[in-house]
Amino acid sequence: MQFVFTELDEHERALQADVRAFLAETLPRGSFEPGLGMAGRKDPAFSQALAARGWVGMSLPTEYGGGDRAAVERFVVAEELLRWGAPLGHHWVADRQSGPLLAKVGTTEQKERFLPGICRGELSFCIGMSEPDSGSDLASVVTRATPTDGGWIVRGTKVWTTGAHEHDWMIALVRTSEAENRHAGLSQVLIDLQAPGVEVHPIPFLDGTRDFNEVVLRDVFVPDADLVGTEGNGWAQIGQELAFERGGPDRWLSTYLVLEQYVRELGGQTPDLAFVELLGAATAQFWGLRNLSLSIARAIDDGRQPSVEAALVKEMGTRFEQDLLEEVRRFAELEPDPQSDSLFERLLANAILTSPAFTIRGGTIEILRTVAAKGLRA
Amino acid sequence: MTTVDPLLSETAARVFADHATFAAVEQAEADGWAPAMWAAVAETGLPWVSVSAAAGGSGGTLADAIEIVRLAGFHAVPLPLAETGLLAGWLLEGAGLELPAGAVTVVPGAPADSLVLRDGVLHGRVTRVPWARAVDGIVALLDGRDGPTVVVVDPASTQIGSAVNLAGEPRDTVTFDGVTPRAAARAAAGVDARALRRRGSLARTAAMAGALEHLAALTIEYTTTRRQFGRVLADFQAVQAHLVHGAQHAELVNTALAAATVAAARGPAEMEIAAAKLLADRAAGEASSHAHQAHGAMGMTREYPLHHLTRRLWSWRSEYGDEQSCSRVVGELARNAGADHLYELVADGSRALEPLAAGEARDHT
Repeated sequence: MQFVFTELDEHERALQADVRAFLAETLPRGSFEPGLGMAGRKDPAFSQALAARGWVGMSLPTEYGGGDRAAVERFVVAEELLRWGAPLGHHWVADRQSGPLLAKVGTTEQKERFLPGICRGELSFCIGMSEPDSGSDLASVVTRATPTDGGWIVRGTKVWTTGAHEHDWMIALVRTSEAENRHAGLSQVLIDLQAPGVEVHPIPFLDGTRDFNEVVLRDVFVPDADLVGTEGNGWAQIGQELAFERGGPDRWLSTYLVLEQYVRELGGQTPDLAFVELLGAATAQFWGLRNLSLSIARAIDDGRQPSVEAALVKEMGTRFEQDLLEEVRRFAELEPDPQSDSLFERLLANAILTSPAFTIRGGTIEILRTVAAKGLRA
Repeated sequence: MTTVDPLLSETAARVFADHATFAAVEQAEADGWAPAMWAAVAETGLPWVSVSAAAGGSGGTLADAIEIVRLAGFHAVPLPLAETGLLAGWLLEGAGLELPAGAVTVVPGAPADSLVLRDGVLHGRVTRVPWARAVDGIVALLDGRDGPTVVVVDPASTQIGSAVNLAGEPRDTVTFDGVTPRAAARAAAGVDARALRRRGSLARTAAMAGALEHLAALTIEYTTTRRQFGRVLADFQAVQAHLVHGAQHAELVNTALAAATVAAARGPAEMEIAAAKLLADRAAGEASSHAHQAHGAMGMTREYPLHHLTRRLWSWRSEYGDEQSCSRVVGELARNAGADHLYELVADGSRALEPLAAGEARDHT
C-alpha cells in the first residue's frame, strides 16, 4: 500500500476553474436548496446541462459519447459538484459506477445501448446489491436468475435501493448457479425498472424522505443480452466496482456545507477563538483527506489498483463527516429545525438525521476495516 | 513534485539503521549525547543537505533534507539533524554567515525566552534548546536594530542547564550573561520568527511522519506474530481497528508532509505547514494509543522499541507549534477566506490566498 502525493497540473486546474465558473453561473448560491454531498437532489435538466459540458461520463470511451478523460479529471468535477451541494442525484450512480462497469465488462451492444444515454445525462441507474437477508455478507444473496429461452427469469428482492422509484435501470447481483464456493455462481444483470414483474415499494427513511426502496422481482424476464460481464464472475466484478466507488470525495464531503454555511451565516461577527480552532482543525482535516483521495485517483490513472487505500480513506472520511457535524452542532447551540428559515439550520438538521448512513452505505466501516486490515497484512 | 534522489534516501536509511540501533538510542538517552553516532552520520554529510556547497553545506533541496529528517524520525535518531542543516544552516546561509564545523542547534523561541542583543552583547535566557549541552554552535534569531538578526554563539560562553523532553532528548536552558556572539548578521529577507517557526514545524512534522510510519509497521508486525486464543491478534476485528487507524494516521501525515514540502518550496506555505503539523500532532496522540493498545503490556516495557517512537511523538507534538496554535493559524486563514472561498483554501491551499492577498508583500522563505 502506498499513497503517493500528487497535485493538479495546469490543465486540471483549468478544468477546476471552468467547473467553478459554470456552477457560479448556472447554480448561484441562494438559487437552489443544496444537498449534502451525494444526497444532492435529482434534477435531470441539471445533469443534462452538465453533460453538455462533457462532465458526465467523463471516464467513458469517446466512441460512446464519453470523454475518455482521466480519473483525476472526474475527481475534479465530482469534488466541485459535491462541495457545492449540486443536484447530482440523477446521474451520480450512472456516472460513478454503472457506466464505468459497463464500459469495462459490458458487450459492444450494451455499450452502444447505454453509454451514450449515460453520457448525455439521460439514463439513470440504481445499485441492486443488498437483500433482506444479505447486507454486509453480500455473497449470501438469494435473488436467483434461472435460465430460460433467450434469457433468464429473475426472482427475489433487493433492498435499500436508492432512487429505484424514479431511475431507469438497476444492475443487480444475482445467483445464476449453485456452487460449493459461495463466491462462485454470482452474476450481474441489468434490470429494466419498467419491466413487467418489477415492483418498487418505498422504504421511507427515518426523516420521512422516500428515496429508499425495496425492489421485488417477480419472475422478471432478463434477456441474455442484459447479462453484465461474464456469467459466474459477479463477485470479482463487484469487488472492482466497489474499489472504484470507495476512495472518492463523496466519502468525506457530506457535511462540508454545514460548516461552510455556518461560517456564512456568522457573517461579519467575530467568531469565538474556540470556533477559529474548530474551523482550522476541520480545514486541515479536509485538506489532508483530499490529498489522500486525489492520490487514489492518480493511482488509478497510473494503472495501479488502490483498493486498500480506498478502503482506508472511506473508513476515515465517513467518520470525519460525522465527527465534524457533531462539533459544529455542539458549537452552534440551537434546537435544529428541518424547516428553519436558516439554510444552516436546515442543513444541520438534515445532516443529523441522515449522518448515521455515512458509515454504513457502500460498505460499513466494520467491513472496510476488515478489507483494509487484510491488505495491510499482505 | 517532491523528487528525492533514491541514493540519498538509501544512504540515510542505511546509516540510521546501522548506527541508531536500539542499544545506541538507549545509550544516547542515558548519556545525553551520542558522539559516535554523530560522527558516523556527519561523515556522510547528511546533516548539511539543503545547505549549498558554497556556504559549506552538502547541497541538495529542501525536499531532500525533509526526507532525511523523516527517515531519522523513523529510526528515532537522537541527534540534532534538523537543527544543524535545515534550520541553523538555512539561517546562517541566508545571513551570509559561515557554518560552524560540527553539530549546531537553534533556539526555537519559547514565549518566556528573554534573549536580547544590546550593543553587540547577548543577555537573557532561552529554554527548550535541543542538545545545547553537546553542540559546537548555538544559533538564535533575534530582533536587531535593523530587523531580524542571526547570531552564532560558542556554547562554552553560556551557562547550560539540563532539561529534556519525554523521550529524554536534551531540551536545555541556556543563559547568556553578557555574551559576545562569534558572529552576527542580518537575516535574509523574509526570515523572521514566524518563518523560523514554520520551518521548524515542517522539520518536526517530517520526523513525526517517519515515526508514525514505523509505529504502524511495528504494530502490524507484532499483531501478526503474537498469538492468543489460538489465533494471531490481527485476526480479531477489534485489533484490526487499531491496525487500520494507525495506518491511516501514518498515511495522512506522510502525504500531508509531502504536500507541505512542495508548497514550502514555492512560498511561505503557512496554511500547508500548519495543517500538516496539526494532523501530525493529532496523530501522535491517537496513533500512539492505538499502537500501545494493540501491543498490550509488551509495549509498555523498556526493552521493546515502541517507546522510542511514542515518547518522541508525544514530545514533538508540542514543539514548533501544537494542536491549538496550528489550528488557530489555519483557522484564521479560513476565517479570512470566508465562506465563499473556504473550499478553495481546502483544495488549493496557499494558492487560494494569492488572489485574496494581492498587493500585499509576500515573505518567501
